[in-house]
Amino acid sequence: MEGLLAGNEAAVRVLYARYARPIFTLGLRLLGSAEAAEELTQDVFLAAWRKAARFDPARGRLSTWLMTIAHNLAVDRLRRETGSTRPHLVLVGDVPEVVGASEDDAVVERDAAIRALDSLSDAEKRLLARAYFGGLTAREIAEADGIPLGTVKTRLRTALIKVRRAHEGKERP
Amino acid sequence: MSCLEVRELLPELAIGVLGAEERAEVERHLRWCAGCRKEAAELGAAAATLAFALEPAPVPHGLGERIVERVRRAAGPPGTPRRARTAAASIVAAMVAIASLGWGAVMAGRADRFEARAAQAERARAEALERFQRILTSVVPDRQLPASETHLGQLRPTADGLGGGAVLQLVSETMLDFTIVIVSGLDPEDAAALPYRVELENAAGQVLRAGRIAELDADGGAEVFRQFRNKSLGGFTTVRVVNAQGEEVLSGAVDQTA
Repeated sequence: MEGLLAGNEAAVRVLYARYARPIFTLGLRLLGSAEAAEELTQDVFLAAWRKAARFDPARGRLSTWLMTIAHNLAVDRLRRETGSTRPHLVLVGDVPEVVGASEDDAVVERDAAIRALDSLSDAEKRLLARAYFGGLTAREIAEADGIPLGTVKTRLRTALIKVRRAHEGKERP
Repeated sequence: MSCLEVRELLPELAIGVLGAEERAEVERHLRWCAGCRKEAAELGAAAATLAFALEPAPVPHGLGERIVERVRRAAGPPGTPRRARTAAASIVAAMVAIASLGWGAVMAGRADRFEARAAQAERARAEALERFQRILTSVVPDRQLPASETHLGQLRPTADGLGGGAVLQLVSETMLDFTIVIVSGLDPEDAAALPYRVELENAAGQVLRAGRIAELDADGGAEVFRQFRNKSLGGFTTVRVVNAQGEEVLSGAVDQTA
């Protein structure tokens, strides 16, 4: 990270090799075009360089930090473009199908993520996807499904905690 | 906002669907509340898992080179003021994050742990300063920044406003004095408040312009750097950020004795 802070080219390349693909993929999913996804990916790396000093390893992993920057930038962009106070609904879908573990080392993170999501019921996966990829707030989901707002919030929280625990369980030796 | 109210909103913060107003309130709370911050980090990590689970799309050819080039352009050649300024500004931002963490803990802490926490905050501040110095030295190799001539201050919102900031001043016998002011958490949607002006004032009521903030980034942040060719900053310890309507939104004092 210190290399990134000083604008060190090698540091940018290392981060790029590891994280460009998932960031670009998230951009594609949320923004819907390769051009917008490329612009987002560039913006994420520039933002990461600018904010490098704010990254605190004690408070989370680098991958989470980068992906949070990417998701926030994408959602902000959607809001700007639609002039809406909430993200525009681009896609409401399920989280990806669980597939066999890849042999490619570069996607170890993905395999871990897929396994962590596997700890959720289908309904929980759909709920998270509607919020994270679809940009629906808890209130909007509650209204669409005709269930109390508190219930939606509790379910979101429960689902996120389950994912976290499954992920942590995997990381432990 | 209480911890209970904040925790109810953390899942939506993690998923990125919290409205700007609530997000700002929650983030303000997280600056000083370690318990809620821990939960926010865990939920954020869980949300990021969703992104990592997507079927990866092929990245456009040459994107890596375009990114390296963009960062290189933003950084500027080694040793240029822009590069030094950015690095310095980033470090000050880190310092503020660390300092506010420490002092937040002090304020929220129980009396019997006050001393230990105060010492911890002080250590964090010293470490941040050292880091600031190391980076500045690495980007401007021919410059030494003596700690005795480098002074810090924190900016806090006036009344019930949002945001905060930090100030670093060099008040030197041998170099041109400068001020770096970093602000964050101002309302990026409030276009009418722009431009902000940043002012320094001494005990005699003399006011110096330290800069102008014409735009804020998405986090409501901005950086101001000004070097003073014919003026010593000695005594100019009061720092104010004033909006376009002339209202003071942030203020603080630099401790030039430290």
